[in-house]
Amino acid sequence: METWRQLKPLEWWKYVNKEVKVTAHDKQQHHGWVFTVDPVSASIVLVTFQEKGGTSTVRVVTGHAVQEVEVLQEGNEETAGRLRVIFTPPGAQALGP
Amino acid sequence: SPRFIALCPTTISASSETGTDSVQIREEQRARSALRESFLRTLIAMTNKQVQFHMHERVKVEAKFGASDIDVLNVQVSELHTPIGVQKEALLRCQDVISYSFDL
Amino acid sequence: ISWHSMSLPPSERPGERRGAEMKKLYGGDAAKVQGMETAMQLTFDRNCDKKQPKYWPVIPLKL
Repeated sequence: METWRQLKPLEWWKYVNKEVKVTAHDKQQHHGWVFTVDPVSASIVLVTFQEKGGTSTVRVVTGHAVQEVEVLQEGNEETAGRLRVIFTPPGAQALGP
Repeated sequence: SPRFIALCPTTISASSETGTDSVQIREEQRARSALRESFLRTLIAMTNKQVQFHMHERVKVEAKFGASDIDVLNVQVSELHTPIGVQKEALLRCQDVISYSFDL
Repeated sequence: ISWHSMSLPPSERPGERRGAEMKKLYGGDAAKVQGMETAMQLTFDRNCDKKQPKYWPVIPLKL
């Protein structure tokens, strides 16, 4: 997917909070919820949640290795909320203005 | 700089600061800022974590994440477990890396 | 503002140019993004100075 790297920020933005399947150059596929896409390198950050308070996994697929991004599920409030605080320690407020 | 030329869409350089174009530019700037900030937070969250790297040629290694340069061309790691032993301090080239992951 | 206005004389300092570019890319949040980037780059530079890491693998896997 050569075009993935050429998308504009607003186009990458549409993937945020959605569940996707990313196919990388080595044919490996990764599922997860999109936390962000780096506008500099086009790298995509996926999060998979474990049910019942298990560990969550964060995976970055480097922009040059992204072949295809397929949306599996639209975003929802619950997941968006979990993503918003993913790097915030429990009990602490999200950073930023 | 080359980085700016690569990043800066033609819309910004070619249009004036008035009318709908500037609204669109501001929306694009906002999206770019939010995406970039979240990505930088991801890298910061990775500091001192055990990170697994999937590299080209089916190479898989694990190391403690140190820092990355801002263009994410190089990643500085410690205790890199390679197929032929442990390298105490190492730099990985992002071009070699397909994906990397860590547990929260 | 036209593209040509970005082509500034060579006497201009690189830091200023980067500031102007950041403003165009990130708008009102430019200072915040730039601050985070600078902090990260400083950590990277400091770690590299202190630890002297060597590239692994020595030859790139992907040219």
